[in-house]
Amino acid sequence: MNLLSFSTKKPKAIIFIMLAITTILLLFIPQIKIDTDPENMLSEKEPVRIIHNQLKERYNMHDIIVMGIVNEKHPDGVFNKASLTRIYELSTFAYSLQEAVKQTDSIKKEKNELSKENVVSYTGVIKRDVMSPSNIDHIEPIGPGTLKFDWLMSSPPKTDAEALGIKDKLLSNDMFKNTIVSEDGKAICLYIPISSKDISYEISSKLQEKVATYNGDDTFYITGLPVAEDTFGTEMFVQMAITAPIAMLCIFLLMLLFFKKLRLILSPMIVALVSVICTMGLLIATGNTVHIMSSMIPIFIMPIAVLDSIHILSEFFDKYQEIKDRERTLEIVMKELFKPMLFTSLTSAAGFASLALTPIPPVQVFGVFVAFGILFAWLLTICFIPAYIMLMSKKSLENFGVKKENKKNTLIQGLQSLSYFTRSHSKKILLGSIVLFAISIYGISLITINDNPVKWFTSSHPIREADRELNKHFGGTYMAYLSLTNDTEQAKTGKEVQTEIKNLSHTFFNAGTYDASYKIKMDSLIQKIDTNAEETVIYSQITNQLFDIIDYSETDEEMEVWEELTGKIELTALAKTQIFKQPEVLNYVSNLETYLLEEGGVGKINSLTQLIKKINKELHEGKEESYKLPESFSGVGQCIISYQNSHLPERLRHCVDSNFQGLNLWLQLKSGDNKDMEKTIAAVETYFKNTPPPASLKYEWFGLTYINVVWQQRMVNGMLKAFLGSFIIVFIMMAILFRSVKWALLCMLPLSLTIAIIYGVIGFIGKDYDMPVAVLSSLALGLAIDFSIHFLVRSRASIKKAGNWKEASVIMFGEPSRAITRNVIVIAIGFLPLLFSNLIPYKTVGVLLASILALSGLITLILLPALINTLERFFTPKN
Amino acid sequence: MTFYKTFLVLLFINGFALQNTWSQETDVNIIVNKANKVYKYSGDDRICIVNMDIKNNKGKTTMNRELVLIRKNDGDNLKQKWYAYFKKPADIRKMVFMVWKNTNKDDDRWIYLPAMDLVKRLAGSDKRSSFVGSQFVYEDVTGRLPKLDTHQLIKTSDNYYEVKSTPVDPSAAEFSYFYTWIDKETFIPKKRVFYDKNGEKQREYRAGKVEDIQGEKTIVEFSMTNIQTGESTYITFSDVKYNVGIPDNIFTETYLRRVPRKWVSYNK
Repeated sequence: MNLLSFSTKKPKAIIFIMLAITTILLLFIPQIKIDTDPENMLSEKEPVRIIHNQLKERYNMHDIIVMGIVNEKHPDGVFNKASLTRIYELSTFAYSLQEAVKQTDSIKKEKNELSKENVVSYTGVIKRDVMSPSNIDHIEPIGPGTLKFDWLMSSPPKTDAEALGIKDKLLSNDMFKNTIVSEDGKAICLYIPISSKDISYEISSKLQEKVATYNGDDTFYITGLPVAEDTFGTEMFVQMAITAPIAMLCIFLLMLLFFKKLRLILSPMIVALVSVICTMGLLIATGNTVHIMSSMIPIFIMPIAVLDSIHILSEFFDKYQEIKDRERTLEIVMKELFKPMLFTSLTSAAGFASLALTPIPPVQVFGVFVAFGILFAWLLTICFIPAYIMLMSKKSLENFGVKKENKKNTLIQGLQSLSYFTRSHSKKILLGSIVLFAISIYGISLITINDNPVKWFTSSHPIREADRELNKHFGGTYMAYLSLTNDTEQAKTGKEVQTEIKNLSHTFFNAGTYDASYKIKMDSLIQKIDTNAEETVIYSQITNQLFDIIDYSETDEEMEVWEELTGKIELTALAKTQIFKQPEVLNYVSNLETYLLEEGGVGKINSLTQLIKKINKELHEGKEESYKLPESFSGVGQCIISYQNSHLPERLRHCVDSNFQGLNLWLQLKSGDNKDMEKTIAAVETYFKNTPPPASLKYEWFGLTYINVVWQQRMVNGMLKAFLGSFIIVFIMMAILFRSVKWALLCMLPLSLTIAIIYGVIGFIGKDYDMPVAVLSSLALGLAIDFSIHFLVRSRASIKKAGNWKEASVIMFGEPSRAITRNVIVIAIGFLPLLFSNLIPYKTVGVLLASILALSGLITLILLPALINTLERFFTPKN
Repeated sequence: MTFYKTFLVLLFINGFALQNTWSQETDVNIIVNKANKVYKYSGDDRICIVNMDIKNNKGKTTMNRELVLIRKNDGDNLKQKWYAYFKKPADIRKMVFMVWKNTNKDDDRWIYLPAMDLVKRLAGSDKRSSFVGSQFVYEDVTGRLPKLDTHQLIKTSDNYYEVKSTPVDPSAAEFSYFYTWIDKETFIPKKRVFYDKNGEKQREYRAGKVEDIQGEKTIVEFSMTNIQTGESTYITFSDVKYNVGIPDNIFTETYLRRVPRKWVSYNK
């Protein structure tokens, strides 16, 4: 209360302090660092991110922009001269988006004409890895015994007939079918890898600009998770700049409607604005980046900041004409409101602060700073609003709150009949609430946890359109990668290796008719093996010794025998390490692929097995029955080397690492929904469980589609924990506020019912429980309890004053209920502009905020009086 | 009179200019042809063991190959026959790659895959695909004929001729031009940089150690780097022998399957 007298006595000092703090924090805002990467939902040290980055490096993978070209008008789709010429040009344009990063001049000076070129790395498009018809190889047998390797489309076709030839070439390769070319031949897809995800919006904009210069029947689409995520980040900030001010304007207009006094209602707007500036300023000043989550801080702080001010103004509005003295009116108003305002702010802050319990850094930052903003807004409200009122001229307040005396308005009448209704139908209300609660719980059980960053855009957004069209024509625009690695725990002991080599040599010598001296010589070599050495060392020692023997062979025949045996031993050693050249391992992988295509919801898989089969087929005159894996290790090796004779041998690394110890399956999914990715993950688990691999294999997922699943799981679990945590904290706070457990319980009821209904409805209508919905659960808790606190604190006081509930009820449905109703209307309607956003999470926030406030207000005004009415004795024991 | 004077002056200037261009062109072609001879045609025949290290962009060797490389010239013309027999890694042991380098038509190329006992003729139109997964293309190994490019002497420094070569038929190459630094004394190409169709550096060849073997200047260490991927291939020659009298008949399909043991063994 000292604070209040300070504010009313020294209003200018309050305003000066406020302006000083605001100005200082405002100065930090230009240093804003924006981070739009949802991957940062996980800390950089998260094992899943570390593995993701390691595996990307291992298989030389990059994030991919998917660009589709569809032609529905031409009978041959895109396979006509004009379309393919455009596609050729577009690919060339994409290559030009690669930029070389060069060494600085200081190093350059030392170079002479023969020194190394000074390019260090590249950014932008990874030119070599662009998958387009003009940047892939075609292999084809031409005539008996002749094989041709060539660029598939080294120049644009000169005629439509040539264009059709390109279609045949593309469709003849399973690796391209459904990936680069659609099966119906209507569409082509380019896969444009980029150096880092955060330039995908920039690159895709450049591609869009290029495409805009084309005429013709082709439709161009761009999608892919990197583009969606980066575009969302960019559009999000635009939305922030548009929707937050519109919401503010709406709140302002509604308040003007209620309180009529423009100068007075400016004060809550100032409180809201200053709270937002100070919170964001502090966020930036403390070195935090503004992430998708923290960009929503203003939207969350604004309504909460305005709430308390409305209570003060509403009360002041009703009392001023009776008392006619600003200072005394304020004193009475603040005395009545101080406790409920403090506790509503504390509970809201606690709801958000509980987000610090989630294991997701941006959510933690969001929660902590919103909590700060709420408490800061509370402080501002109790200091600044009185100071502001004191600084207004007496004259300007003369008519404030006068109107209501003259004519009964509908709000007052409506609330009074509600008061009567809650008393006469209290039992029915209670029964109805229980039924509603039960139905809601059933609804909650129907909730599906799911998210997909592409679906953060409205369905008319170009990215959503591209997503629909391209997934209709191709294997899928969502990439997930499954890495399989050699997981052999322990190398063999020296003794075992010795026996192995002995068996090998005996098998070799027994198979042919060789002079016995060879076998004896070999046995003596084997005898001398150092059995303490490691497996690989033993193998290299024995082959080195064999090379000496070869070199000193006396006859051609002798040399041939030793060379044969050496080859066999080397091959055995190689097969141990290069497990992904072993036919049985590859067969296992191939079966896994078939299983995933059938059962795992996967649209297309690109893999080493497919590549080997294709080469094997073309080596055998293109015969369909040769589309299979070779039976021997060397056969596999020789198919692979044949592939490496192509123009782009480095692409092999996307399928398998250079020592053939790790294999990568590139999965294309038609849906980026987390629930679909989860299905695929489960399918892999099932397959490995039911079908033991021939060698010890370990599998790991990576890729953005997978990462999204991981952070969603974290988010959902974290939010649940945070929600339960804040529920308990709020309950304890209520127990302290009311110094009574039963009143605290009563206070928790409306919010429990509100949240149950909201999430029940989400379950019934089938809206996915996604990121914004999850975050709003803690907001719901913090906001929904506000009205109950106001209602119960003042009900208790009124009962004390009036002696019974019937009379207290009349008081309660006077000013206190009006304040609640005004609040509900101002904020619920104030947030409806969010519905016009073209980003779904903003819509969700708008709808949920409005319904949480409306519902919790309504439930407070109906359920609480009905409960007090029914259980009056229990709550107000007669002394 | 004036007309004649002018005519004579013009004729003189033209003649001089013509003379100048002509000599410069000849000069650069002489340089390039000489370098080509030193680089790919030394001796009558040659046999050596090639060790090939393919390194990733971090400089770590990720693949290794060992092969015996045999080459035989066809007198003084630019035709040649090449035979590459692979020894390592074990899964491509006995694989053979054979080329008849022609001057007036596409090269004839064969590959033998022992695991499947397949002899495949490779359509000769495309010599610019990778040589067994390295950064070298086939044409780097067997040599690009000087007549396929027009050459321009860019600069003559203390030690090198810097020559720019542009393909006569741009559609037949994936690069747009390349620069070569030719040692003025030995005519050995010490460095070559290829530029891609967007005008960006694509691949860089560098000659390392040069040895005098049987009187022939021989590059025994050299590398090729793909500047855009950062991957590189390092090659070392060992056991280099010139003029060993390699018979013509080993460069035939029969010898793809039947290894000419005498020539490819370690103690040849």
